[in-house]
Amino acid sequence: MTDVGRHPRIELLTYSEVAATTGFVGNFNVTVRRRARYVDEKECTACGDCLEVCPVVVPDKFNIGLSTRKAIYQPFPQAVPSAFVIDMEACLGHNPIACGKCLEKCEKECIDYDMTDREVTLNVGTVIVATGMDVYDPTEQDEYGYTRYENVITSLEFERLINSGGPTEGHLVRPTDRRQPERVAFIQCVGSRSQQRGKPYCSNVCCMNTVKDSLLIKDHWPETDIKVFYMDIRAFGKGFEDLYQRSKALGVQYIRGLPGEVEEDPATKDLILSVEDTTSGQLEQHRADMVILSVGVEPRRDMESLKGLFTLSATSDGFFMEAHPKLLPVDAPTRGVFFAGCSEAPKDIKDSVTQASAAAARANILMSQGRISVEAITSVIDPEICTGCAICANVCPYHAIIADKEKRTPAVVIEASCAGCGTCAAECPFGAITMRHFEDAQIIAQIDAILEEDPMEKIVVFACNWCSYAGGDFAGISRLQYPPNARLIRTMCSGRVDQEFVLHAFRKGAPLVLVSGCHFADCHYIDANRWTQRRVEKLWDKLEREGIRPERLQLEWISAAEGQKFAKVMREIEELRKAVTPEEVEETKRILTEKAKKPKKKPKKAKKEPVEVAKT
Amino acid sequence: MAEEAKFKCLRCNHEYTDSYDPDKIEERSCPKCGSNSVRRLKEEASKG
Ligand SMILES: Cc1cc2nc3c(=O)[nH]c(=O)nc-3n(C[C@H](O)[C@H](O)[C@H](O)COP(=O)(O)OP(=O)(O)OC[C@H]3O[C@@H](n4cnc5c(N)ncnc54)[C@H](O)[C@@H]3O)c2cc1C
Ligand code: SF4
Ligand code: SF4
Ligand SMILES: [Zn+2]
Repeated sequence: MTDVGRHPRIELLTYSEVAATTGFVGNFNVTVRRRARYVDEKECTACGDCLEVCPVVVPDKFNIGLSTRKAIYQPFPQAVPSAFVIDMEACLGHNPIACGKCLEKCEKECIDYDMTDREVTLNVGTVIVATGMDVYDPTEQDEYGYTRYENVITSLEFERLINSGGPTEGHLVRPTDRRQPERVAFIQCVGSRSQQRGKPYCSNVCCMNTVKDSLLIKDHWPETDIKVFYMDIRAFGKGFEDLYQRSKALGVQYIRGLPGEVEEDPATKDLILSVEDTTSGQLEQHRADMVILSVGVEPRRDMESLKGLFTLSATSDGFFMEAHPKLLPVDAPTRGVFFAGCSEAPKDIKDSVTQASAAAARANILMSQGRISVEAITSVIDPEICTGCAICANVCPYHAIIADKEKRTPAVVIEASCAGCGTCAAECPFGAITMRHFEDAQIIAQIDAILEEDPMEKIVVFACNWCSYAGGDFAGISRLQYPPNARLIRTMCSGRVDQEFVLHAFRKGAPLVLVSGCHFADCHYIDANRWTQRRVEKLWDKLEREGIRPERLQLEWISAAEGQKFAKVMREIEELRKAVTPEEVEETKRILTEKAKKPKKKPKKAKKEPVEVAKT
Repeated sequence: MAEEAKFKCLRCNHEYTDSYDPDKIEERSCPKCGSNSVRRLKEEASKG
């Protein structure tokens, strides 16, 4: 961190928060809120004179309240920059000055009570999101008594307790009597791998953190009796199995089973753990002087606002979603944005650093080129047709369209931001948008070709490139049997499936249409497939209003790994197809053809020239 | 705000009641056959 602070080409903005962003790859405008420190960070040498005179003492958050600090303080000993900051909530008051002792004491005159928060705007080409994670709060798992028994602490609190720079200078003591514990118990998977608590994922770091902590204790106090209660120990990293075996060889007992309850002996403040050892099936009780809850990690509580800053999305576990889990694992779906560390998934320091290096290299590829090549599949708006209604800008998951509903200027696509999902083209009520390589005419021609012969035998299936089409491929590779009647039309995203495509297929005699895409959590275009669902729901209503059975339009979310599901769906919809009669199809064709003949209201044209888009 | 709503699976015709938040769009699957062709029956929606 010190190297980063000194690097001539790195500007480190500490005590700062990203408040807003606009723009796109090569041209992001990032507004950073720089919080007032009330101490000039360039002048302060962290001499500590002010500490001596500050009369306010508060719990030290860095040491998780296990020690205290003053109202003027250095966040932690290795903090960069090495400068103090005033906690204004704790300070006795600066307006009017109620104390002013630090101001009087500081010879270098670094203290400025009039400092205020300020915002700076940075123009940057790429962004790396390394916002990390939050740590699970075990209060809700009352059976472990975290809030009731002082000698039950979390692994994070233990981390501070055993640290030589921590509140006890590295001495292991238990909170109630500050006596060195003779028996220490660790409980694993607290806040991890529990469907019931909404945290089904493995937090990745807790097993090895416990193994490390057990070795630390054994190193310093070899007589300590250590028991680890676990479901299974995940020691998959390089050298990890070795550490685990060392810990066992030093006498750490690993007991397979998570305690159902922890109780305190009121007289001794010892803790009694009731557990079923799943290897023997025995119900057991174990006594410990101190219990350490090995807490998991979880997505930051402000994920929603972070997502909004760069139009990011999250996977079902709540962490940020990569552009592609295997091929683009450090890229965000928004071009020019990358991930590092636990913001993307729980990981240890080594993996965080590996990912950070990869993210820096990925960003560097773009930065060193100084220009970007845009994917050929982007949308194009015809200003002659566009009415400026701004519907497209509202649906675009990447905020790639600039439109002004009030001024009614023709909308403009920022090609560098457009990912090519086609949602805008499907939603534009006036047909003003062309999707390069997936034009309306190309898709309509495919529908016509499918239904040219024996339409009653065919099922028109719209499948998205990344998931449902790949699911079909997987079913094929796996040699799964399914009826051959389905004819697939590939679009990049199910969001491209215009309602007109579905109606056209019915007009041309399709007995059944299936719209398919990625599961919500897997959408490769942030949340474009939500628009697919909305559109299909509207179509069901519309079909019913026209006297057409909505059942003839089916919807399915199929992932690339769900070959089995793909085959099952094909078998099911084939049964539905068989139930559609030729008379029903003829009636549908008549209804929809007549409807298509009715003249539509002419749209109002946009007024002015398109808005200017800054160049990348 | 979450409401109760009636849903119909357009694959197996199963009808059921589930919570529904008009401000959220959620992936739905039929509790009987697992299909995602689940339609909310608007006329039968009621406040929960
Ligand atoms: C109890 C526990 C024990 C662990 N033990 C080990 C271990 O022994 N070995 C190991 O390798 N790993 C361990 N880990 C994992 C390790 O902590 C993580 O790998 C590491 O912290 C990940 O680094 P990060 O930069 O992704 O996230 P963080 O360390 O969480 O850092 C993210 C930073 O981003 C800042 N930030 C967030 N939002 C914004 C914003 N909007 N603007 C500006 N800044 C922002 C945060 O304030 C924070 O400083 C442990 C984790 C826990 C919880
Ligand atoms: S008319 Fe189409 S392209 Fe123009 S603003 Fe509306 S939705 Fe966008
Ligand atoms: S194609 Fe998708 S990403 Fe591109 S402008 Fe349209 S909605 Fe946005
Ligand atoms: Zn069903």
